[in-house]
Amino acid sequence: MNRHIDTEQLSAYLDAELGLAEMRQLEAHCAACAECGVRLAAMRRVVAGLGRVERAAPPPELRQQIRRQVMEEVPARGIRGALAALRLLAFPPGPALRTASAMGLALVVGLFGVNYIFAPDPVPQHPPALGQEVVTVEAGAPLAMLLTTSEVAGREFIWTDSGWVQRGLEWETPAAYVDARSPRGRELLTKYSDLEFLLADGSSVVLRYKLQTVEIRNPSTSRVLGFEAPSRPEGRRHGRMVAA
Amino acid sequence: MDPPWEESVGVATVYPAVHHDVALDVELVERHRCGDLQAFDEVYARFAEMVYNLAVRLSGSRDEAADLTQEIFLRIYRHLGSFGGRSTLKTWVFRIAVNHCRDRLSRHVPPMQSIDDGAEEEGVPIADPSRGPEELAVAADEGRRVTEGLARLPQVFREAVVLRDLEGLSYEEIAEVLGVRVGTVRSRIARGREQLRLLLEREL
Repeated sequence: MNRHIDTEQLSAYLDAELGLAEMRQLEAHCAACAECGVRLAAMRRVVAGLGRVERAAPPPELRQQIRRQVMEEVPARGIRGALAALRLLAFPPGPALRTASAMGLALVVGLFGVNYIFAPDPVPQHPPALGQEVVTVEAGAPLAMLLTTSEVAGREFIWTDSGWVQRGLEWETPAAYVDARSPRGRELLTKYSDLEFLLADGSSVVLRYKLQTVEIRNPSTSRVLGFEAPSRPEGRRHGRMVAA
Repeated sequence: MDPPWEESVGVATVYPAVHHDVALDVELVERHRCGDLQAFDEVYARFAEMVYNLAVRLSGSRDEAADLTQEIFLRIYRHLGSFGGRSTLKTWVFRIAVNHCRDRLSRHVPPMQSIDDGAEEEGVPIADPSRGPEELAVAADEGRRVTEGLARLPQVFREAVVLRDLEGLSYEEIAEVLGVRVGTVRSRIARGREQLRLLLEREL
């Protein structure tokens, strides 16, 4: 090894990320080359300095704050699980099916479902004891909210009749369609891993990415519907929004 | 006399072995799915310090880091049930943390100099009882200089260096967290360290 060692190799050497032969070569080179020896020592000092950066424990009250917020979410989470299943039934892939089944299911849920979904674990029905407070929980409002909005990757998404759309982009036609399994789709999902949550049931997601309005499609949806991305009529996507 | 490089060979930064048992990950997630709140508490106990320190280094502010940590754990709580086990829980948590920090910090960039200013108010430094006062003072000074240098690194290099040198993740784990190839991780760590070296030398 006559050339000087490059920075990447020196750094990888300090992390024991080189093969044995490469390590031995590097060591032999540094023994003979003062310049590389000095560079290696300098980089080692940097790594040692980083190891001396003081760590901090999270503020003790943080745990309680998070716990409190989590406790506030507990009822919603149980509901959300049920609603995720309901949403799949109410809004299956396919605009026509969606409209029909959404109307039907909304009626069923409205008439019978809500009481069942929001009911706590079965509790023996005893009359309240003297002095015991009776609390009635209003279930209507959270149902509407949870069906139509979701905050993912720090953005708010709205459920429309053909998928999730980032708030503010409801009337925009996507400039690009991305298959969730394509390299670009994977790149997007790597960056915003929580989007998988929205795509999980076969929905599509429209969002702003690198200054473009992009639609991520779940390939299973495309296959079921058999649509071709470019032929999609403009403006159709966001023709009707479920009230938020 | 030993050649100058001699003292720097022998290398490999060694971190305490933390065994992240995949079976434990799966069990925790299962318990969370079944509504066991204690499971999330255990996730917090396992990862809070790592997430908080990552947020401190990426945001440059302890106040901001506390807020970020809170938001990150709420996201973890909301999505823990959908953890698929394709990675370890540790890399999954770090991925959420890095993505959230990027997302939040791209919209609001806090002042980067406040880490040590706020040290007495927020966060509790983890003291090392084995070091004397003088040694601690020198180490604190060095640590402060490195911290300041770190805050001036470009974000992609800072993320890689923090995950490697402060959080002790392997190259493979960092690749998973950042969603890039191992070769890219190797390059980012090297370039980050090199830039940091130049920044520190310029100050001397």
